[in-house]
This record gives sequence, C-alpha cells and structure tokens, in this order.
Amino acid sequence: MILSTRYRDLILYKALADLRAEAAKTYIGFLWWVLDPLIFMMIFYVVFGLLLKRGTPDFVSFLLVGLVSWRWLQNTIIHSATSILGGRGLMQQVYVPKIIFPLVVILTDLVKFGVVLGLLLIYLWLAGFNIGWAYLALPVLLLTQFLLIVGLTLFVAALVPFAPDLKYLVEHSLQILFYFSGIFFSSSTISENYKTYFYLNPMASIIEAYRDILMHQKWPNWLALALVAALGLIISLLMYRWIMRNDHLYPKLVQR
Amino acid sequence: MSKQLALSLNNVGTFYWRQAGYLRKERFWALKNVSFDLHHGESLGVIGRNGAGKSTLLQVLAGILRPDRGKMINHGVQAALLSLQIGFVPYLTGRQNALLSGMLIGLHRKNVIERMEDIQNFSELGEFFDQPISTYSSGMKARLGFSVAFQLDPDVLLIDEVLGVGDSDFQRKSSAIMHEKIRSDKTIVLVSHSVETIRKLCDRAVWIEDGISHAYGDTFDVLSVYEKQQSIKS
Repeated sequence: MILSTRYRDLILYKALADLRAEAAKTYIGFLWWVLDPLIFMMIFYVVFGLLLKRGTPDFVSFLLVGLVSWRWLQNTIIHSATSILGGRGLMQQVYVPKIIFPLVVILTDLVKFGVVLGLLLIYLWLAGFNIGWAYLALPVLLLTQFLLIVGLTLFVAALVPFAPDLKYLVEHSLQILFYFSGIFFSSSTISENYKTYFYLNPMASIIEAYRDILMHQKWPNWLALALVAALGLIISLLMYRWIMRNDHLYPKLVQR
Repeated sequence: MSKQLALSLNNVGTFYWRQAGYLRKERFWALKNVSFDLHHGESLGVIGRNGAGKSTLLQVLAGILRPDRGKMINHGVQAALLSLQIGFVPYLTGRQNALLSGMLIGLHRKNVIERMEDIQNFSELGEFFDQPISTYSSGMKARLGFSVAFQLDPDVLLIDEVLGVGDSDFQRKSSAIMHEKIRSDKTIVLVSHSVETIRKLCDRAVWIEDGISHAYGDTFDVLSVYEKQQSIKS
C-alpha cells in the first residue's frame, strides 16, 4: 500500500514541474502566488475593514490570519477535485497509481501556502505583533491543518471522478463553510446557544488557534487541535487505502 | 511450443462505464472474449478494424485495465506501452520534459538522468533541448517524445500503430530503429489495421473483431482468414 521510491520521486518532480510551468506561463510568474491572495485579501479589507467599519485596530491582521489559513484549505480541495479526471490521458497510456494526482496538488498548494504564510508573518511583525513562546505551537498547528487538508482533499479527489457534478457541490459547501469559519468575525460575538455548533467546524478551531498563536501569544486549545488532527489523520488513512484499493476502477470511469 | 510463456489470456473481457443519459452509466464491453498466448522473443501482431478493441487489449496487457472476466496470467514479465510525449508540459524545457516523461513511463529518476545525453543526441534537438517545448514544432516534439519513449526497455513492448514519427528524416530513422527492435529477440505486441505491416514484422498474429479473438496462430494463417472474411464483407 506504500508507494515505491520511483513513484515518490515522480510526485516530487511532477509537483516541481507544475510549479515551474505555472510560474513560466505568465509574465510575472510566481509573483502571482503573492498577488493573487493579496488582491483577495484587499477586497475583504475594503468591504469589512473600511465600508462596514468593523474595525478594531487589529481587524486587518485578524482578517488576514483567517483568510490565509482558509485559502490553503480551499485551494487545495478545489484544485484536487478534478485531479484524477485531469490525469485521464496519462492513466490510459501508462500505469500510474491514481493517488499520485491529488498528492501532487497537495504538494504544489503547500508550497504556495508557504510563500503566503511567510508574507503574513512578516506583515504581523511589522504590525507590531511580537514573537512569543506560543510560536512553538505553530508547527503543530500547521501539521494539524495539513492532516485535515490531506483527508478532505483525498476524499473529494476520490469521489469526484465517479460523479463529476460533485465538484459543484464541493465548491458550494466550501462557500458555506467559509462563512461559518469565523474568518471575519470572532467566536466571542456568537450567541452562546450556537457556539457548540460553531466549533463542530474544524476550520473554526484551526483559525482560532492561528490567532491565539500569532496575535495573542497564547497557547492554542490543544484538545481541539488534537481532535482535528485525529480526524484528519483517520480520514487521510482511510481515503488513501480506499483510493489504492480502487485504483483499477478509475481508468474505466474516465474513458470516453 | 518450446518457447517460454510470457502472458496468457483466457477468455478475457473488459468493460468501461459509459454515460447512458442522465445520472445513468452502462457497461460497455470493449473486450468480450479474447484468448491467446504470448511467448518470449515473439512478435505478435494484433489485426482488426478500428473500434475492434485492439487498443483496449493493449491497455489490459499493460496492466492499465484489469480483466473483468476471464483470466490473464502474467508469467513474471513487465509489459509497457510505447507511449509518446507522455505527460509533456508546454512551459518546461525539453530536458525537464524528458525527465518527467521518462519517470512517467516507468524509468527511475537516476536512469533518465544517466541517459539524458543519449536522449538529447537521438532527438537531434541541439540547443533547443533546453528551450521550452512550447517553442517546438510538432515534428520536434515528436522527436523528443520518441527519444524518451525509446529509452524504456520492458520485457514486453506494446506498440499501437505508430512506428515512425516526426518529420521525414526522423521518421525514417525512428521507423528503422523500431523495425530493428521488432525483428530482434524482443517480445513485442504490435497493433495495426494494416495487413502489410503485420505480415512484414510479426511471427504470430491474433485477429480481433468486436472484442472477440477470432483467429490466433501463425501470421500467414491468421491473415489469410482475416483477408477472406474482409473480402466476403466487401
């Protein structure tokens, strides 16, 4: 069930090749990895920071932290939804384990997120948020979100080829989840009656943990993170196994 | 037959899922009942009209599709399709694409790197080898594709129609090298709808029609049955 070195090398090189190709096909290349999220964030800043004046002084930082974390999840899931379908030309001519396709997307989006996270940290330091002991929890938090992303991504990538319309369902679900993840509001503003439901969304805990660490120099809620990590790990392992087991079905589905 | 068996197919059938209207999929049996043996060192020709299931058969032999009924026994060989320009990415250079494509068709990363010079020389791309392939003509791309694909040396080489590719000089060169390979001791399965090609290159043949193997044996016998049937139809 574990991929051989040949396929691991292939995943790494394919991810590198995709990143290179993406940078090469536009004039300003990989600057888009920075500009694209920046533009997106500007829109939110203008709407919520300026027009709706939800502005406590830290609102921009508050918003950026939530958006950066959210976009990592959203981009990876959306990009990987059609990754196996997109590999149809390939899988009909050579045998490749189909799990490779979503794994490559997970890697390329991880790299792009890394760039944006770097920028976010620089921004936060410039905005006066100090680095505290809580930063030690950042790798744990990143790993937790990564596990969640891998799990959800493999789940979506595995199912979409069976019913390509699911892709739209996924996009809408993400849109809904986006509004319920506390990206532009804090959990403290939610009525007590609904708080439990709010935290059923793993991204709510993740985003709150980023803010605790990066803005409030506070340790995150370890129990919540442990639950999310366990959930992510279990889904990841189950879906990995499932895709490997049903590997032979995919070329049958995508044939025209 | 004293030769060792490489692959045996017994009543093999394979289906695809085909969209049959709204939210409904139906099975389409591209192969229904195919039986033959492939021995080491043999060149087996697969003859049949377009849509007879020849390409699907190669996918089964290559392990891309699994038989859904019947049985394919692999006697310990690695079989692979000769696939050209696999996984090419337009914005990468010829060298980068050669590495990516080589790894996709089944070579190890270090093997491709070791053979990079051979690939570059054979492709006759010169300094274009380090240019993005989006700047290539289709002939140049074909040259690169062939030079990479040709590096793969599986136990059983599966070839779908194309023997010579690229612009005319390269076509002669690539076609010559393929013919040489087929005539050698290499185990080959060659799919073609051309009787001439198969007669020239293969020791044995199998005739596929509507996903069913109608005849299997010496090339001469199989082709004469095939041609007789064709003339009755027309």
